Amino acid sequence: MRTEPRTILNFLSNYFDIIKELFDLQLKDGLVRREDLNAILAEHDSDILNKLIEYKFFKKIADDFEIRPMYFKFLEFILSEFKPLLPETIEKYEHSVTSLFKKIKEGINKDRNILLQRISDLNNEVRDFTEAVEKNTLRLIAETKELKSNVDKIDYREKVRKASFWIDYYITPLNTILDVSNADSITNRLLDISQYINVRRLNFDDEMARQQFEKLYVFLVQTNDDLLRQSKILTNELLPLIERIRSESMILTGWIEFLKNPNKSETPFIQKSIRAYPYNNAMYFNSLEYVQEYMQNDDVYLEDPKLSANDKWIFNKEFYREQLMKELPVPNFFEWAGVTLRSEYEDIETEKFFSLSTLLFEDDIELEFDPTADRQVIRTSDMNLRVPKIKIKIKRHGLS
Amino acid sequence: MDFPRYHKEIVGDLLDGKFVLATDAKFIELKNNADFYGKFFKETFDFYLDIKSDYAYLISEETMEMLSRDICIFIGLLCYELDKEGKNFLDEIQYAEFDAEMVDNLLDNSSYTDLILNNNQLKNSEARKQFLGTLNRRNIIERNSDKKFTFTPAYKVFMDFAKNFAKGKLAATNTEEDSE
Repeated sequence: MRTEPRTILNFLSNYFDIIKELFDLQLKDGLVRREDLNAILAEHDSDILNKLIEYKFFKKIADDFEIRPMYFKFLEFILSEFKPLLPETIEKYEHSVTSLFKKIKEGINKDRNILLQRISDLNNEVRDFTEAVEKNTLRLIAETKELKSNVDKIDYREKVRKASFWIDYYITPLNTILDVSNADSITNRLLDISQYINVRRLNFDDEMARQQFEKLYVFLVQTNDDLLRQSKILTNELLPLIERIRSESMILTGWIEFLKNPNKSETPFIQKSIRAYPYNNAMYFNSLEYVQEYMQNDDVYLEDPKLSANDKWIFNKEFYREQLMKELPVPNFFEWAGVTLRSEYEDIETEKFFSLSTLLFEDDIELEFDPTADRQVIRTSDMNLRVPKIKIKIKRHGLS
Repeated sequence: MDFPRYHKEIVGDLLDGKFVLATDAKFIELKNNADFYGKFFKETFDFYLDIKSDYAYLISEETMEMLSRDICIFIGLLCYELDKEGKNFLDEIQYAEFDAEMVDNLLDNSSYTDLILNNNQLKNSEARKQFLGTLNRRNIIERNSDKKFTFTPAYKVFMDFAKNFAKGKLAATNTEEDSE
């Protein structure tokens, strides 16, 4: 009795954890061994072997089992976990596509139904081919990223082995199959076919065949875009990524070998810093050159410079004290100081004015001033000084 | 005779053992006058000037130069330890920011204890600090703060060295195998 499709799908859904484990086993080993199957069923405490056989999920091979291709492909598709096809397996499509195309061309004016069937078959072959390429690219991306992230922390030697394996057996040959610059690539073969089909879809007599050609043409154009995209992924992403892993591992091999005995290995010849010291070997010749260049025997005359107004002023206290004593009593000391300085210099410099003010502290004079009186302003070269009016006279000694 | 712009600085930096980086205005001048400077350093000091796309440096034939050796040991250890932690060391060195403490941790827990303890530049945290200062002066690393730094493109010299070293070793092993 034929089982209801919905029942099978429900079964797959209900026991998906077991199904996934069986799928992983077959992906890894190519079949499901009986002991592995028993272990999985025991672990999940399920006895579904009979159902697996009844729903034609398993095919018995001696004591072991194999997931039937239909189910396997379906699981591959929904899990996006593809078993990579060897490029030579993919290449077989080139022969089938070429052969069908040849037959279409030869029988273009013969039996109409055969022609329609051949167009349809060609369509299917091209579809299978693009699907195979896409599956491989997806798988290669997953493998490469896993290598790159190195979650399993695999040894660098194993990493380089895996990277080389993927490059040598899958990526490079697949790239050759897709390479548009390679005249024998399938991509170029499909381009030739699409050119031929393009003409037929426009001018073929039979309406039905024209529609089939049209459908195939659209599909081929789309396929061409897809293949270009896959090729781009391979050349722009996968090859550099995996090449980098290989190069990284090569570098690490170098470091490990170097670190075994770094003192006996030659290192990059980085320049050590050079400084020109004055006592270096060239010092004698440099000095000689310098002395010879600047050694001149012209007579040299030295003379005292003339005094100028800006020369440093030295306060001659005794001179000014005598001058003050002669003029005593003086009714306003600061006025006297200003007048005295102005008689000698054009401006009253603050420093000179302050120097003269020190005469107020001489022992022989007596000061008198009115603290309430207005102050007087004296302008010096760089400030205005408000000073009191101080009267000075000779100090009288003894009792007054 | 007219000299290129920055002539004094270019000669000074290179003779100081610095890498001149592409981010430096001097680099363009150096690159534009590559022939002149190549001859200049060869004839004057017997040094070879190597100008790459993103850095330039002087090469001397003095193979006993200790600093080069210490830099190789340092970068080699760093790559080895980063790989041991499951990291892509090339990506780390090219893009990541390093922390002096993180470097200390890696080296202090390394299995290359003897090598590290016998190296005056790497034996302890203080020595490493000085060493990082030297790398910074030579433009091999760029300090982002007191403790943080990134590698400049100059790191590639040392990666090329390791790659060639591995190739040399592999070739030597193959020759030995062939002769057996």
